[in-house]
Amino acid sequence: MLRFALNRVAMALPTLLIVAVTVFILIRLIPGDPAALMLGDLATPASLADLRARLGLDKGILVQFGIWIGNLFRGDLGQSINTQEAVLPLVLSRFWISAQVVLVAVLFASLVAVPAGVIAAWKQDSLLDLGLVAIATLLLSIPTFWLGLLLLLFFGLKLAWLPVVGYVSIGNDPWGGILYLVMPILTLFLHEIGVILRMARASTLEVLRLDYITHARAKGLSEGAVLWRHAFKNAFGPTWTLIGLVLGNLLGGIAVVETVFTIPGLGRLLVDAIFARDYPVIQGCMLFVAFTYVLVNLIIDLCYPIFDPRVAAE
Amino acid sequence: MNRLFASFCLLPLLASPALAQSVTVAVAADVRSINPGVNRDDNTDDFALQLVEGLVGYDEGGTVTPLLAEKVDVSGDGKTYTFVLRQGVKFHNGADLTSADVLWSWNRYMDPKTDWRCLSEFDGRNGLKVEAVEAPDARTVVMKINQPNALFLDSLARTDCAMAAVTHKDSVKPDGSWDKPIGTGPFRFVEWKRGEYFSMSAFDAYKSPKDGKVDGYVGSKRPLIKDVKFLIVKDPATVKAGLTSGAIDLSEILPSDVEEIRKNPKLAVVTASTATRHVFLIQTRDPLMGNAKLRQAIAASLEMPELVAAASNNLGTPNNSPIYSRSAYHGSVQKQGFKFDPALAKKLLAEAGYKGEKISILANKRPTVPSFNAAVVAQAMMQAVGINAEIEVLDWATQLDRYNKGNYQMQSFSFSARFDPALGFEQFAGPKDKQPRKVWDNPEAQVLIDRSMVIADKAERQKLFDELHRRVINEVPLINYYNGVDAVAHSKRLSGFQPWQSKLRMWEVAVAP
Repeated sequence: MLRFALNRVAMALPTLLIVAVTVFILIRLIPGDPAALMLGDLATPASLADLRARLGLDKGILVQFGIWIGNLFRGDLGQSINTQEAVLPLVLSRFWISAQVVLVAVLFASLVAVPAGVIAAWKQDSLLDLGLVAIATLLLSIPTFWLGLLLLLFFGLKLAWLPVVGYVSIGNDPWGGILYLVMPILTLFLHEIGVILRMARASTLEVLRLDYITHARAKGLSEGAVLWRHAFKNAFGPTWTLIGLVLGNLLGGIAVVETVFTIPGLGRLLVDAIFARDYPVIQGCMLFVAFTYVLVNLIIDLCYPIFDPRVAAE
Repeated sequence: MNRLFASFCLLPLLASPALAQSVTVAVAADVRSINPGVNRDDNTDDFALQLVEGLVGYDEGGTVTPLLAEKVDVSGDGKTYTFVLRQGVKFHNGADLTSADVLWSWNRYMDPKTDWRCLSEFDGRNGLKVEAVEAPDARTVVMKINQPNALFLDSLARTDCAMAAVTHKDSVKPDGSWDKPIGTGPFRFVEWKRGEYFSMSAFDAYKSPKDGKVDGYVGSKRPLIKDVKFLIVKDPATVKAGLTSGAIDLSEILPSDVEEIRKNPKLAVVTASTATRHVFLIQTRDPLMGNAKLRQAIAASLEMPELVAAASNNLGTPNNSPIYSRSAYHGSVQKQGFKFDPALAKKLLAEAGYKGEKISILANKRPTVPSFNAAVVAQAMMQAVGINAEIEVLDWATQLDRYNKGNYQMQSFSFSARFDPALGFEQFAGPKDKQPRKVWDNPEAQVLIDRSMVIADKAERQKLFDELHRRVINEVPLINYYNGVDAVAHSKRLSGFQPWQSKLRMWEVAVAP
């Protein structure tokens, strides 16, 4: 197991390096100059030259890359062009905010959607199955920004139960912080239910059609035992993988939800940095997102033997 | 049950002290720094200029008048400016304002290590050089410049230069790095939580430059609210929800939201014209657009009232002059703009030898500017007279890059505010060989602009600006169509707020008891 984990970590390093190089090159291929953006139409040749020199943008692209990669190996992701903040602490602080929303939403979505998907498969073509599939499809089809706005209008404006705008850190004000996070979590929770439920249903359906399930039923096992002991364990693998992918995706990209609910998370930081051509922040965010993606999927893979002992044997 | 739950949820908010004296203002972006005039944008300037002040500032009409100075005397040769400071002005730390503080602040700004945004405006690289600054006594500051310059005070008052703010030396840490602004403004800095909010509180010992009415940066500036929190809210729909729920007290809103918000009995909407200019830029070096008759045909194809109504949601008024409509220099000549005449447009197209070649209009979809909406309407109007206009939508960074390189045929663009007409013309006029972003490369016009920067006499300057206006209308290097409009919504529990030049001035704003 340890060797497997170390192999996966070793495989991740070239991936991260490729991400680093690709992001560095691609962002510079897009037209737009951060110094010109900062100065806008007020720029004069002198002020533009001053700012470009101060930001190190007057150096050749290879020199810039050399400086950045050298700092990267020392754990320094550079400094934001816009705010002069160190990128690593900035990314970590914003990631923590996004992670609170994502982890809670995906956890609750999995707890609801996985049993619902299994039950839908078990009761295939019943009214219950049709109802669950319809709800899943509906939730999946509603864009998160729209769902977020609907929740905001209902819980924030009509019922006035929850604060409409702003963000308070849970560390500063636990109860206030939770109130601010309820609607973004609910938005993601509802959306991800649709994704996970459909996968849980499809993979369970596939397993329920296999011979060994028929055999288990023929032995006289109860439906509960057939479903949870025999079908669920084998069907959960693909769903577990999907949960990992969903988690990896969301941890780096809930900019829309963060914008609607004014949460200063990682996604919003990245989008703002792209519009401002804040190269160090874009590079730092992308690298961190890639790292998180690899890490989450590694953890998912390492958990596989819990559900499927054959993986550990291999 | 609902009310019980709501009360329970709102308990932590209600528990905060002096809630009634606290005001929450929504802003679309975070500030870049709390170092005035250094790492800045419009949003940063807006916050900074509630905290700090300069020797001179703009009044409501864009005229430069004394602010921290009581009066400004100019020597006969136009090269020595003597500022006499107002008495009784205090910094936020309680220290009295003296000429030594002005000297210290000026020297800090002129040190290249400070990275002042306007260093090149005063060190000679753009012509004007401040050669000496002296403080002969505690209330007097003397500045000597290299040559007479009608725009010296205007440059000092510029908001992007943070008014060359006078700050106390305790604003920097012992190692010389910037800490926080300790200024003389009506509000003092409280906190900046990056990405979330920035806040300020009333400076009780503030001495207002004038009594009476609010007047740009130089009128009555009493801080009547105890605490102001600027909350960063990017999504306009969320702003609307926040205003409706009462979580936000004041915010700029989109022109398209004005009608809807006006129907809310708890909210008021105020609008005001600004000095920003919405324009169509035309690249005169483009093989096609270099033809003056074609450019004149485009101008004649545009029905300005309709174009402006669509671009501004019926809030704007057409203005074809580079001089903004509320300027003291906007007179009868500036009111004579382009004339909508489709028949003339078609005739000019024929004379230009236009054969239906494609004309690309660059535009962006930032919600704060009418770039795309205006481009769509203009495209339809141009097509109606036979011009093959197409729109190319870009993100703002890419469009600005194309502007700076001069790489376009037409652009739906917006210029930031310039109060003095000379600077308004200078914004788009100049040699394209040296600065490709310049739109109007006309040496004769440049001579007039340069003269307007030296002459101080208003009547003489008006003549120059009238001539420049006529030339722009005739040559059509760009088409100004209207000045921006601020639309601000606020809770009716606030009174006294007046929008001005996209600045959310919080002085003289009061909260109902």
